[in-house]
Amino acid sequence: MTRDLTVGQFIPGHSLMHRLDPRTKLMLTFLFIIQVFLTKSALSLIFLLLLLWIYIVCAQVPARKVFRAVRPIIPVIIVTALLNIFYVSGHVLWHYAFLRITDQGLFTGFTLLVRLITLIAGCSLITYTTSLNALASGLEQLLAPLKRLHFPVSELSMTLSITLRFLPTLAEELDRIIEAQKARGAQFATGTILNRIRAFFPVILPLFMSAFRRAFELTNAIECRCYHGGEGRTKLHPLKLGRRDYAAVIFFLAAFAMTLIFNSIRQPF
Amino acid sequence: MALIELKNINYCYSPGTAFEKHALRDVSMAVDAGESVGLIGHTGSGKSTLIRHFNGLLRPNSGQVVYQGNDLWKKPNEIRSIRFQIGLVFQYPEAQIFEDTVGKDIAYGPRNMGIGQEEMNARIRESLQCVGLDNSYLERNPFRLSGGEMRRVAIAGVLAMRPKVLILDEPAAGLDPEGRHALFDALRHYRRKSGAAVVLVSHSMEDIADFVDRVVVLDQGSVALDGPVASIFAQAEKLVSIGLDIPQSTKVLLGLKAKGYSVKTEAYTVEQAEQELLRFLKEADRP
Repeated sequence: MTRDLTVGQFIPGHSLMHRLDPRTKLMLTFLFIIQVFLTKSALSLIFLLLLLWIYIVCAQVPARKVFRAVRPIIPVIIVTALLNIFYVSGHVLWHYAFLRITDQGLFTGFTLLVRLITLIAGCSLITYTTSLNALASGLEQLLAPLKRLHFPVSELSMTLSITLRFLPTLAEELDRIIEAQKARGAQFATGTILNRIRAFFPVILPLFMSAFRRAFELTNAIECRCYHGGEGRTKLHPLKLGRRDYAAVIFFLAAFAMTLIFNSIRQPF
Repeated sequence: MALIELKNINYCYSPGTAFEKHALRDVSMAVDAGESVGLIGHTGSGKSTLIRHFNGLLRPNSGQVVYQGNDLWKKPNEIRSIRFQIGLVFQYPEAQIFEDTVGKDIAYGPRNMGIGQEEMNARIRESLQCVGLDNSYLERNPFRLSGGEMRRVAIAGVLAMRPKVLILDEPAAGLDPEGRHALFDALRHYRRKSGAAVVLVSHSMEDIADFVDRVVVLDQGSVALDGPVASIFAQAEKLVSIGLDIPQSTKVLLGLKAKGYSVKTEAYTVEQAEQELLRFLKEADRP
């Protein structure tokens, strides 16, 4: 069951998007999110979809994969869109009892649908094209100015990368323990709720035990290598901004400006 | 009729995705009651996938698992009752211990079977004794035991279900020689007493030579060899070619033979090799 968690997992590759600096990608993702929320008119919506298509091509990630990332939240998107259809005032197209659909409502609902899907699909691209280690070190450098305020940036980034690193390991461990207890006759999917919760103790407890054991072993290993926090540490592969990164920033800023322009052009909606 | 039989099993992980892996191809093997079978193969040859088919933890994509003449997957609802009869001990089984006393942890399997208190107590004591631990362990905290003792407690937890087929995945991994001896003694004891069939997965050819009668060799998801220990270890070259080893004592005899000494090479345990060498030396002394 846990093996199916492939959504959002890094896909190694050499696309344009893969080779961007993680810092650039983090900032541009942030910019893209703002852009999605500022998209208001029909013209800029079309432009947004075009952009998403360009980004997917640049990332060389199969479109199927990108939309698989959207799938889990489709129910949420649909409910939000439906609520908007019924609650926005405007020219009434259809009504029944207290329900009425307006042209403005339809458009708002549709806009929301497209915007949310684009948002999730766009954000999934960064996780598909950036390894967790790169993300963590990018985040560390972006947050570096906070060190002045005595904020433990490198410790935080170390903790983050250890967490991310051990998620799949623990998922595997969980699978193994479930199988071992099943072999001793455990059943998880039947009985009253209380019984079902109780059935998980034989799984959760060993999982915690092994997580703690791993944590202690890791602590020893880290101390043996004289780790003492981020002070004075250098990197094996220091991050470096290239021409590619500046080009990407300029492209994204231009796209951002285009959205604002498309928003202000007079259109039927 | 075999006690449990796998017929033409195929199994594929994550079919239809980029992570697709064909783990088993057309694997067939049978185990008779009271038999002890060794399952060997290189890392990634499909041993662990195969043993998960014995008790229905994995469902084959095609092929049948037949236990006592019944197809396991004909009635998927009854698989749980089959699992009580086919005990599976995973690698590092001590990781499954969760109760605060040894007694309670061993009771987990039998309690799932719905066994009454009186028989439960008898079973707990019996399986504890079987793995060579005395009753003073019953109330002890399993997490304060040594690694070897924890391992034996975990195995006792499976033995307490009195399985008719006992499958063990690398049960001696990481144990010291003493713990390893105690473990194999316990397994022999259980097998003799209950008449159960035992399937042993191991990387150690010495353990295989010591403990089993028959060996099944897996290579890249298919059965490469299947036969009595003697005939398998006689094919040293083939074993080496699929990345496996032969027992040290057999190696010594093969080496002597290659140097032109007329020793017999059908010896797989230290005792057999010792006898063969003594016989050879005696004959060589004679003029």
